[in-house]
Amino acid sequence: MVIRATIMTLTSLLTASIFSLGLAGSTTEILMDTVRYYDLSNVQGTARGWEREERILLCVPLRDAEPHLRMMFSHLHNLTYPHHLMDLAFLVSDSKDRTLEVLIEMLEALQAHEDPKQPYGEISIIEKDFGQKVNQDVESRHGFAAQASRRKLMAQARNWLLSATLRPYHSWVYWRDVDVETAPFTIVEDLMRHNKDVIVPNVWRPLPDWLGGEQPYDLNSWQESDTALALAETLDEDAVIVEGYAEYATWRPHLAYLRDPYGDPDMEMEIDGVGGVSILAKARVFRSGVHFPAFSFERHAETEGFGKMAKRMQFSVVGLPHYTIWHLYEPSVDDIKHMEEMEQERLAKEAEEQEKAETEKKIKEHFSDPNNQWEKDKSELQNIAKQASADQKQGSKKNSKPKGEDTDSADSQEERAQRSKKAGAEDGAKVVDARKKSNPVKAES
Amino acid sequence: MARPMGPVRLRRTNYVTLTIGAFLCLFILYFLVHDGSNVPISTSNSPNANLPPILKPATAKSKLIGDRPPVRRFNLNNVTITPDPIGNQEVVLILTPMARFYQEYWDNLMRLDYPHDLISLGFILPKNKEGNAATTSLQAQVAKTQKGPLKDRFRSVVIERQDFDPPILSQDEGERHKIENQKVRRASMSRARNSLLFTTLGAETSWVLWLDADIIETPPSLIQDLAAHDKPLIVPNCYQRYTDPETGKPAERPYDFNSWQDSPTAQEIAAKMDPDDIILEGYREMATYRALMAYMADREDERDVEVPLDGVGGTALLVKADVHRDGAMFPPFPFYNLIETEGFTKMAKRLGWSATGLPNYKVYHYNE
Repeated sequence: MVIRATIMTLTSLLTASIFSLGLAGSTTEILMDTVRYYDLSNVQGTARGWEREERILLCVPLRDAEPHLRMMFSHLHNLTYPHHLMDLAFLVSDSKDRTLEVLIEMLEALQAHEDPKQPYGEISIIEKDFGQKVNQDVESRHGFAAQASRRKLMAQARNWLLSATLRPYHSWVYWRDVDVETAPFTIVEDLMRHNKDVIVPNVWRPLPDWLGGEQPYDLNSWQESDTALALAETLDEDAVIVEGYAEYATWRPHLAYLRDPYGDPDMEMEIDGVGGVSILAKARVFRSGVHFPAFSFERHAETEGFGKMAKRMQFSVVGLPHYTIWHLYEPSVDDIKHMEEMEQERLAKEAEEQEKAETEKKIKEHFSDPNNQWEKDKSELQNIAKQASADQKQGSKKNSKPKGEDTDSADSQEERAQRSKKAGAEDGAKVVDARKKSNPVKAES
Repeated sequence: MARPMGPVRLRRTNYVTLTIGAFLCLFILYFLVHDGSNVPISTSNSPNANLPPILKPATAKSKLIGDRPPVRRFNLNNVTITPDPIGNQEVVLILTPMARFYQEYWDNLMRLDYPHDLISLGFILPKNKEGNAATTSLQAQVAKTQKGPLKDRFRSVVIERQDFDPPILSQDEGERHKIENQKVRRASMSRARNSLLFTTLGAETSWVLWLDADIIETPPSLIQDLAAHDKPLIVPNCYQRYTDPETGKPAERPYDFNSWQDSPTAQEIAAKMDPDDIILEGYREMATYRALMAYMADREDERDVEVPLDGVGGTALLVKADVHRDGAMFPPFPFYNLIETEGFTKMAKRLGWSATGLPNYKVYHYNE
């Protein structure tokens, strides 16, 4: 019986170990150090990737981004998706500032962080200069004429970054711009939960109060409209339709304009073009060949072309109108001009006020002496008047005091007259004196 | 049937059972202790800083909390693509979508005299019965080679299994060649190619050689020969050897008709077509009058003759890695009414890269 029981437990253990063996066998097998075997059906991407240890490739294209790196790393520190499951990929291109040096410094600090949960997975920095002639400053960046070639160059950069870093073990790819100012720490999980092939949040930016406080930023997430389709038909093969410019009135519903600050953040909207500030996509989308067209694909390029191409391959492309992240506000040239004007106005006003204050002060300095004198004189005179009346009272008191002593009343009458005369003379001297020292006079009296 | 009360009497000890028990215990303990992860961890301490990322341990399990992978830099400005790839130590990635394993394919691959330590291999196979069989044979050959003499070993090998099912097509010849079925088949092929390409193209790769699993004979200097032309896309002529049934003598015939120069007729057809339809070569109902490279082979001795092409086949095709990095891929959908390798040519053109053919430079396809 004992043996039978042992055998029973043994068999159950055996089945358990066979089961676990089967599981182990289904995961990646590695033959030798130069040979890798991957089953791509294991990296499809699911709604709860963090539980299934799904790896994400986080792609960040950088150019002259040194001022924003600190902000980006604070976001990296805060992301709640398990860091060891995220591989970081940066493309540093055509940078004239210290982007690369600062990036390396901060990455090394991040990997050496005392908290063992902070370091990320594989980290690759790709350096590639495309010799871009297009300026990155806000004005030329957003000018209409430069859009097509700028977008194509951006697309090229994105494709280079992805093709150099996407591996067969990635389930998701998350594209994130360096200049995002505010975003939920849980953004990866929040987007992942929707289990869509391509998904983007709404992107707004804060504005100074004089500009209205906030504004839709990313106009590249939109739903296709008949007007735009008709417009596309009329355009040249290499033309690129860009949103947010008067030149192309597309009448498309934009994700950005549909935002309701109190709306359900989980609400989904089917879109056709996507903005690139924060895209979460299943890796299989990129594996099937969807990329950021660096040519005019159906009259669109870069992220908008990416959305179009994903749709062409029957992938789901979704935007969240009420889930908002905030892009950094960089004032445009007009804004800067306006702000300079405001600043000048402010300075002028300040100068004016200062001048006013100064003249007032001067006036005070010049004319306060006689005023004081007047006040002093006034108080002195009042004092004298008081004293005089006090003396009189004293005198009358003395008179009334010795009521019973009639004998010396005549004397006292005389004395009184004399005394008052003296007092008058003395008082005159006292007034002169008081101008120099009033206290001793008072003590005397 | 009366039985004395008391403890159950132990029967005579059965040594056989005990032995089996002990054996089972050992067996189970082995599996409990052995976690199946004692695979060698690759060492990437090579002096070459541009090691491919695929050489790193890649499973999710191998990266645990507390691991601190280093920051690695890849300067793609320094990756050269020149007519002298051996002299400049340029890495070539050979990509093969494989449905069936042919030993002749592997033997031909082994005969390539481009330094093997500069060749990375990538394979993708469907997850069906045929694919499983091919994977097994392929793995056996790969294991043999990578454990074999140093000079035969390749730089790295990646074997992938498709995450989508290949279309189930009737083996009936007529059914298989219907245009609609061709579209589905080639769309599936495109996805396989793209999946393989975008997961294996590393930061170090200079050239990508597409080599179909049924190409069984090429000149050993294939890579150098094609690269010497310094073209973004270059394709040799794909032929097939057979025995002429009339004369009984060995002969050869053109096989791949996807390399062509466009014709006004084909463009007219495309203009009238629905954007979701595709133009195919070799259909009577769709006479394109394109100039096919397959019929341009005339002089055996002039292997270096170049012709410009508007569509290429993928049986053997050398591509500068930058073309793929720019985004040129194999459209699994009709792109300008073209699909797969022909669509790829068009997309590369849209990105500013041209295609070239070598009509007199031949590679040979397997003959069933």
